Amino acid sequence: MRWKVKRVVDGECFGEPVVLNQYLSFFGEVDPAKGVVKTDAGEVGVAGKVLVFKGSRGSTVGSYIIYALRKNNVNPHCMIVKEVEPILIAGCVLAGIPLLVAEDFDDFSSILSSKKLVIHKEGEDYVTVE
Amino acid sequence: MYLTPFQEKMLKGEFGWVYAKALEIIVRVGEALGSDRLVEITHAHVSGVSYSNIGEPGLEFLRDFYREKPRFRVYTTINPGCVDYGMLSQVIDNKYFSKQALIDEALVGMGGRPVFTCIPYYHRPPMPGEHLAWGESSAVIFANSYFGARTNREGGPLALASALTGFTYYHGFHDLENRVAKVLVKISPLIDNKPLSLAGLWIGENLRDVPMVKIREKPLYEVKALLAAMAASGSHALAVLDGITPKETYKTDIQETIALEPGDLEKYLGESPGPGGSVLGYVGCPHTHPEELIILRRLLKKYKEPRRGRLLITIPPELASTYSHIVRFLLSRRVDIALGTCPVVSVLKKKYDLMLTNSGKAYFYMRKIHGFKAGIAGLKEIVETIYA
Repeated sequence: MRWKVKRVVDGECFGEPVVLNQYLSFFGEVDPAKGVVKTDAGEVGVAGKVLVFKGSRGSTVGSYIIYALRKNNVNPHCMIVKEVEPILIAGCVLAGIPLLVAEDFDDFSSILSSKKLVIHKEGEDYVTVE
Repeated sequence: MYLTPFQEKMLKGEFGWVYAKALEIIVRVGEALGSDRLVEITHAHVSGVSYSNIGEPGLEFLRDFYREKPRFRVYTTINPGCVDYGMLSQVIDNKYFSKQALIDEALVGMGGRPVFTCIPYYHRPPMPGEHLAWGESSAVIFANSYFGARTNREGGPLALASALTGFTYYHGFHDLENRVAKVLVKISPLIDNKPLSLAGLWIGENLRDVPMVKIREKPLYEVKALLAAMAASGSHALAVLDGITPKETYKTDIQETIALEPGDLEKYLGESPGPGGSVLGYVGCPHTHPEELIILRRLLKKYKEPRRGRLLITIPPELASTYSHIVRFLLSRRVDIALGTCPVVSVLKKKYDLMLTNSGKAYFYMRKIHGFKAGIAGLKEIVETIYA
């Protein structure tokens, strides 16, 4: 099925979705050496995945952490969020990681629980979910 | 996006690739947000300075720029690094001294003022309405809310790009139409004697819109802690403080009123120190303001030395020389003083069982970064826990 998105940082992307139902401070809540998000429930790997979360919060160092994820080759292939803010965009621009805003984010994140693959092609205003 | 002929030249690389790359970052972020022009700024504050935060990738990014010997086009201040410049701290580990020196050399070499503090407004308080490009979430929200200046929450690399170019994108809190308070937060008198950090953590976690907060007369350091906490647990860049935020720098369109009661804040109090275990008392996140030093001096007068753990204070290097008589007194009481850094952005020499702090921001990060148990308390309670 197709789901409408807004392209913030455009690019090709495919991968298994990892859904985190929260806002993230990349500094403090993400380990850029291991490519994991530290949640209350434990570590969640995001390397090579499609990271789906509400948006960024907290530290302005977050942009550098996103850049470091890329430099360490443990970055998510792309990020799909509910809302964007400058720290997240600057990090994705610098790292060349596609950043998309999903329409009706809450519905989008709940259908992903039964899906294995999210694909986005450059220039398209939707993602394909399989 | 509309660019002036000067900006076009910069983007095309006529002043070198560093300025072109810096402007490209700003234009791309601005366009992604729907901005149609750039705005000149008067002061950039660069975050993403500590080696223990940005690591090798960040260090290389900064050194690549510095190699071309560019200069910042506007007044620029620098956030804390991961080294205690006073070299006296027994808590902060200076293991990355040489790596941090490479970062500092790059930023100071490009023209940044070596203030190494997260309270750049102590060095240069902004004017109401002034356009800034600041990183450091706690400084951003303080600039907008306390001084009525205009800055978005800029990521570290973008603030650096603005320091180099002198511009940022016109969007968000640069535009008065977006500086609109929509939720009124009233703080119950029953929690008036508790640290305002607690309310900050609640607001950050539970509200998305710009809040208008009614607080009774409070010292500046409490306001600083309130704002820093909501910028850490949430993504707030502006909170209208009734009676403090300069008029004409915000609008109101209150849709909802919330009354914060003691029960709402209980979960943020965290852990209390039990009878055993080592305790790190911590004051200075964001960096201590002179009024906090004066209060600590008064509270510590009757004690000789800590009986349990250490009290760590982090302060801007320049403040330590201006108030050297207070710093000397605090050292005589074996307070651990670190300059130009803080435990959120550095490595610690030893692990403590519990950190007790007046800072909601430190509470938020220390548990995640250093795996500490943490609790929030007022200055008096922190001093008494360590010394009494």
